[in-house]
Amino acid sequence: MVRVVCFVNQFFGQLGGEDKAGVEPDAVSGAVGAARAVQQALGDAGSVVATLRCGDNYAAEQPEAAIARMVALVAGHQPDLLVAGPAFQAGRYGVACGELCAAVQNQLGIPAVTGMHEENPGADLYRRQVYIVRTGADSARMLDEARRIVALGLKLVRREAIGSPASDGYFPRGITRNTPVAETAAERATAMLLAKLSGRAVTSEVPLPTFAAVPAPPRVGDMRRATIALVTDGGLVPRGNPDNIEPLAATRFGAYEIAGLAELDPARYDNVHRGYDTTYVKQDPHRLVPVDVARELERAGAVGKLHEVVYSTTGVATTLAHSQRMGREIALKLKAADVTGVILTST
Amino acid sequence: MRLTLEWSDVGEIRAAATTRFSESALEIDVDGLGAQLAEDSRLERVRIDLVHPGEPCRIGRVFDVFAPRAKVEGGPDFPGILGALDRAGSGRTRALAGVAVVVTDQEARSPATLALIDMSGPGAALTEFARCHHVVVSAWPAANAGRSEYLAATRLAGLKAAVHLARASADRAPDRVEVFDLPPPTRVPAALQHLPRVAYVFQIHSHQRPTGIDEGILYGDPVRRMLPTLVHPNEVLDGAVVRGFMGRNSTTHAIQNHRVIRALFAQHGQALWFAGVVLTVAQATEPERVRSAAMAAGLVADVLGADGAIFTKIGGGAPHVDMAQAAAWCEALGIKTTLVVEDMSTDGSSEGMLLFNFPGLDALVNVGGSQESLALPAVSRVVGADDLLPAFQGPLSTTYSSVCGAIEQTGASRLVAVVQ
Amino acid sequence: MTPVAVMVGANRIVPAAGIIHPLGNTDLSPDEEKALRRRIVERALEALSADVAQPTVFAAP
Repeated sequence: MVRVVCFVNQFFGQLGGEDKAGVEPDAVSGAVGAARAVQQALGDAGSVVATLRCGDNYAAEQPEAAIARMVALVAGHQPDLLVAGPAFQAGRYGVACGELCAAVQNQLGIPAVTGMHEENPGADLYRRQVYIVRTGADSARMLDEARRIVALGLKLVRREAIGSPASDGYFPRGITRNTPVAETAAERATAMLLAKLSGRAVTSEVPLPTFAAVPAPPRVGDMRRATIALVTDGGLVPRGNPDNIEPLAATRFGAYEIAGLAELDPARYDNVHRGYDTTYVKQDPHRLVPVDVARELERAGAVGKLHEVVYSTTGVATTLAHSQRMGREIALKLKAADVTGVILTST
Repeated sequence: MRLTLEWSDVGEIRAAATTRFSESALEIDVDGLGAQLAEDSRLERVRIDLVHPGEPCRIGRVFDVFAPRAKVEGGPDFPGILGALDRAGSGRTRALAGVAVVVTDQEARSPATLALIDMSGPGAALTEFARCHHVVVSAWPAANAGRSEYLAATRLAGLKAAVHLARASADRAPDRVEVFDLPPPTRVPAALQHLPRVAYVFQIHSHQRPTGIDEGILYGDPVRRMLPTLVHPNEVLDGAVVRGFMGRNSTTHAIQNHRVIRALFAQHGQALWFAGVVLTVAQATEPERVRSAAMAAGLVADVLGADGAIFTKIGGGAPHVDMAQAAAWCEALGIKTTLVVEDMSTDGSSEGMLLFNFPGLDALVNVGGSQESLALPAVSRVVGADDLLPAFQGPLSTTYSSVCGAIEQTGASRLVAVVQ
Repeated sequence: MTPVAVMVGANRIVPAAGIIHPLGNTDLSPDEEKALRRRIVERALEALSADVAQPTVFAAP
């Protein structure tokens, strides 16, 4: 018999409407308000031992206090599962559901599940951390929605394999998992092409990535007065790789002084990049980081100053998250040093 | 062109005085074969181990896998590499199912990049190689053999062993026969002219790592700076193409049993007309990549007259982009494409799956993510990697890319990275 | 890899001389290589000095 705690807001907890949106968290025994739909969906498989309630405004304005108190209330009931919402399109409610589920998972190790409409801000904010079932816009089919949420919740409790977002009705969490499949990729590709040729709809096995546009910084006004820095993701390191930059999936970058150097001495450098044949850039590091030419341009006055630090990391199998973080960190350092332009050599 | 594969199904393998068939068991003269392979002056010592499905055995330092094949009619074996230069793809070839030749690389200093095959347990479930018997050939380099020479000699030893085994079936009646019969793309019978014409664009090498002089790939040519070219699919099935020395997620075995080619043959004359195979290499510079994409698209569109094309690649990120450029060019010419890609993410995030986003490339099949972690249990027998003991015995914490055959870029494998 | 650079939103992109030697070319003499390198770096400075509104590839002159 699965022990379930439900979380609902002031409205679905039958405390009132907007006038009660400031109520602080409380817990009542058994299934109250919308939690009764969860109990019905559970049937004999489980029991809603308590219903937590919290006002939408309190949760939105005092999130830390609200979550801390609710996590403590959940812990006190020792459930096997937390079911939050469903929040439909109610934004404050949806965010609170996502936040509470994430906190209960992380702090108590208890499986949690919630549900809301795809336009609810809570969906995009929390779908990566929490299983959020896709619901309609309002409570018109409450029991139906409760059934789907409970079904997924029970799978989590029983540690059963969770199906795809499409089959189990939740928002894609953005995690990829290798899964056995009956047909070879070749067979699937042939079938997919034949479908495409006959105009039938095709479901691609890879979602196409979208990258946010980066607003272009304005041009460097007067290059003869500008400080230009050299950066690379081609894996240049000083001999010995003192900063331990990883050859693959890097999480670190190095900052290497070139003050006073007209050239890079190949004997003092190495290259740890695993994604290409580094023979030629090891023979002559300028083939990757053009200090020699940049220095000449500096001396000729074409560039105001060559920045004294070269930043380097390895760009092979680097995750998007680390790439973005390292880029930001390097950019901040360069900005602090009044660098106005960067030449990034990428392999 | 017409090729007949005459299959013998091998149920068991065992060492014996002579290599011959005894019912469905293949007896192998392991000592004689080993001595013959060791005659190559680039090799110093050869050891042969026999491994069977279901054993708690892990084969390590896997360099390549070969399917046993021997020509009985229609030219030499593996022309340009083993046999004299001649055309492949016609006549009769003996083939063995249920047994393969595995060659190991005993020299690689970072063996972590080499593959393994688990014959039982969770690793076995991931690859077809766990379901067949293996003749594992391990050879050590002679003192004066360079790296490229050693790899060429090792690969040649594997091909010789593959022929030796298949030849043993030459006198017995085959268990099954397959016929691959495909006229040139210009000779389509009137009754079949309505069928959509489909081409296969096969990227056979990536120049992220330039080929060695003895690293033959296409009829023994190291395909340096190869421009897109055409072959008949039978040539791929019959030994004209072998894998180079860069072995990430691909094997010669998969090329010999090419699943895209076989799938297209299976539908040929019914749902489609198999228009032909374009071979490409992934180039290392942008101008070369653009030229290759343009010429490959030209062959598909204007020479083969295809309506659709399937693409596969070999290697990592740059070949991935190279393939996409060729496919995008085809789409721009009105040819519908489907690409077989790998999940490129290293942290399991779906944003990292793809490196490109070209318009029209909306039909993608994925072969799984090689960077996803995988735990393998301890085994009791290790073959081909004695020097890596005791750690290699396990348990191992590794990734999917280390299991030979789990993620196979020409589409032979049965894993898919699902976005959850 | 310029298509990748365009896709991820880099605004000023200069194609280099190859993955394994972006700012060099082993078929050339050292002097010729340095001249090639200088041309590419100068192109990069031109790109930095140009107004762009979106990912723009500054091809070799």
